[in-house]
Amino acid sequence: MNNKQQKTPFRLKLEGITKAFPGVLANDQVSFAIKAGEIHALLGENGAGKSTLVKMIYGIMLPDSGSIFWNGEKIHIKNPKEARSLGIGMVFQHFSLFEAMSVLENIALGMDNKLSKKQLEAKVYEVMDTYGLSLEPSRIVSTLGVGERQRIEIVRALLLNPKLLIMDEPTSVLTPQEVEQLFATLRQLAKNGCSILYISHKLHEIKALCDGATILRGGKIVGECDPKKETSKSMAEMMIGASLQAINKSTIKDFGEIALEVKNLSLAGVGDFGVSLKNISFNVRHGEIFGIAGVAGNGQNELQSALGGEVVLKDQAAIKLNEFLIGNMSANDRRKKGLCAVPEERHGHAAVPDFNLKDNAILTARDRQNMTKLGMISAKHAKDFTKQVIDEFNVMTTGSAAIAGSLSGGNLQKFIMGREIMQVPDVLVVSQPTWGVDAGAAAAIHQALIDLAAGGAAIIIISQDLDELLELCDAIAVINEGNLSEPKNIGQVSIEEIGLLMGGVHGQNSEQLTPNSEVIAS
Amino acid sequence: MQLKLEKKLQPSKIMLFATPILAVLLTMVLGAIIFSLLGYDGLGAVREIFLTPILNSLKWQDLAVKAAPLIIIGIGLSIGFRANVWNIGAEGQYIVGGLAATGVALLTHEMSGWWLLPLMAIAGMAGGMAWVFIPALLRTKLKVSEILTTLMLTYVAVQLLNFLIFGPWKSPTSYGQPQTVLFNDFQILPYIIKGTIVQAGAPIAVLIALIAWVLMSKSVFGFQVKTVGSAPNAARYGGFSENKTIWITLLIGGSLAGLAGMLEVAGPFNRMVPQFPTGYGFTAIIVAFLGRLHPIGVLVAGIVLAITFVGGEVAQTTIGLPNAAVGLFQAMMLFLLLAGDVLVRYNIKRVRRAS
Repeated sequence: MNNKQQKTPFRLKLEGITKAFPGVLANDQVSFAIKAGEIHALLGENGAGKSTLVKMIYGIMLPDSGSIFWNGEKIHIKNPKEARSLGIGMVFQHFSLFEAMSVLENIALGMDNKLSKKQLEAKVYEVMDTYGLSLEPSRIVSTLGVGERQRIEIVRALLLNPKLLIMDEPTSVLTPQEVEQLFATLRQLAKNGCSILYISHKLHEIKALCDGATILRGGKIVGECDPKKETSKSMAEMMIGASLQAINKSTIKDFGEIALEVKNLSLAGVGDFGVSLKNISFNVRHGEIFGIAGVAGNGQNELQSALGGEVVLKDQAAIKLNEFLIGNMSANDRRKKGLCAVPEERHGHAAVPDFNLKDNAILTARDRQNMTKLGMISAKHAKDFTKQVIDEFNVMTTGSAAIAGSLSGGNLQKFIMGREIMQVPDVLVVSQPTWGVDAGAAAAIHQALIDLAAGGAAIIIISQDLDELLELCDAIAVINEGNLSEPKNIGQVSIEEIGLLMGGVHGQNSEQLTPNSEVIAS
Repeated sequence: MQLKLEKKLQPSKIMLFATPILAVLLTMVLGAIIFSLLGYDGLGAVREIFLTPILNSLKWQDLAVKAAPLIIIGIGLSIGFRANVWNIGAEGQYIVGGLAATGVALLTHEMSGWWLLPLMAIAGMAGGMAWVFIPALLRTKLKVSEILTTLMLTYVAVQLLNFLIFGPWKSPTSYGQPQTVLFNDFQILPYIIKGTIVQAGAPIAVLIALIAWVLMSKSVFGFQVKTVGSAPNAARYGGFSENKTIWITLLIGGSLAGLAGMLEVAGPFNRMVPQFPTGYGFTAIIVAFLGRLHPIGVLVAGIVLAITFVGGEVAQTTIGLPNAAVGLFQAMMLFLLLAGDVLVRYNIKRVRRAS
């Protein structure tokens, strides 16, 4: 240890942290350090060991070996409560909120010290004022969008005056304006001396926000860099350990006939918090990729269900697939006619986690791939198709008998996308095709979608990731509170315009309003 | 010291098979200890309950008779359980199935012909289905838990049974005994093996197990049931209707329980009596779980539970074990199985301080 370090010890320093799980070495001799007030990125593909590492910092897991130093002092963090008392806060990728309770109740539940409702409310307002966060404490969580839910988690963490805030993939569900706002909050926190450990694989965000970055691959540290001096490409290559292929997209496009025509699709929301779809109309031609942007919880799931056939409509004419009116058809019948779908949630929706890959192939491909005869399933056909998907889409797995739940998120997503794409649908409706997926897998999925469209399929991508939509789509529309905006061709629309539509601002009013949190929350 | 359960990545395949066997073996060991402590001949009790029915070939026919209804009902329940449909009122469906078959037998008492038994079987299945119709309707329309409704309807079925045989169906020649007339020769199941008491129920049980095996492992329907049970959202996405699955699995469970009721009333009983509800419908729940909800497993588990019934009777006469002892052994088996499952699916970790 040199003298300089003793004078100003690192806020957090890890030395030789190792953690093994049955079958995998999740972290192998990981060492890095964060200074006070530094925004430090932890960069890596899915399965690189980022989550395991931060879980140990936050006391959810204990390292097998290695040491953690806090302000120069060696510590053992036995549980999250201890981490919090040291001043370590964390905002998880998956929120732990009680849907039926109010914002304030949820915050109160996360507090280690019990405060009265009044005291707590005062503190919440104080934190929100300091960092420009807007939230209505009495709102019930289930009525809130993802961005607002994240703000609850942030407020909850900030109430503890953290010295280190861990943010796990925080922007995957935010509008550009919300991202900007989050960054402003984080920068101000850092200015006040709070260190931030920022986990992401969105490279341009890291470039914009972070002072330093540590790159993990396969549980090991493969590099440290100053993100401001690197290019996104160079960081991505460090992250995946290979050179990244640029997406191949032909610029000359010749669209065919209308493949999918949605006309005045309306659907009442289910339950108290379901979003109603209101007179949604759009056309997608053969060979076209149509993007639907929007903040989570504005009817995306409902639209996905209505298009995919999980919800059967009364109005047969609301959806027309080629020459067929399919509005009142079941998901299965729609698939037979040529419309395949991939919902957003991988586990338990697009795939059955307890089933092996072969059975997950049967789940949607059984009819189009002739796996059934007289109500019986041909295991051989299913296996052959599964193997094709695994090979074609480079799914890292032990084979068709592997349990879906044991695959990493990116690999399972590649399998699911492959399963649908290899059925060569006329129309493919996908939600969040690369949610929580690493850069390598995302690129492969994007390329596969583009190739499918080039082959003449119409593709609808419902995504909260604007970059993804702008990169892939030929036309884009925005869904807000169950209304779909007028579709615009990519190239004729600015990010700001889309962002405002996502916030629910339409038409001429948009010029008078600035994109701030009030608009987005409304 | 704190203990923590951690889900295993992939539970050992061997242990999944071995747990039911271990549960049975452990039941024997614990049973021997408990009954010794209670002052009985513990080892003798275990020997009589678990071994005599297997070793004494005279008892095999008893096993076949007892196992048949357990297997038939257990198969039906296991299909429902696979879909997370918890019909625990098979006893009621079994009773109503028996009553429906009895009704047909009484109406056709003066007739003869081979078609009487098939007609009674159809009536039995229809009776069982009628008894799950209400729970199925309430579950699919109003989301009322079938656990409650099926169980409650069991008690209604018992009252219905008593009403009928104490009232309109009471035999005029029974000297006031609450029972129906004896069925005629065409209404009683034939003996399959000459010189034994094994009737058509046993081969039917085996046949049903085989059909169910093919259905559950190879058919789209079996796939649908497993998908709905494992991930309802994925099932909807895959094009399977949850409500349809609830209806079909409940109707299968009800019809098989009803069929078992018909086979019992037209078999060992030959008439409807107040002692008809013997608890097969409840024991079949243990059979279904001990058999890992797999048709062939249920076949084996049905025989194991039949062994405890037959052995219990033996132990009652030879070493004076109370009748309730059988229930205790059966319950212990289920308990140890479920406990064993936890150990197979989870690792128990001691939460210790970091070093």
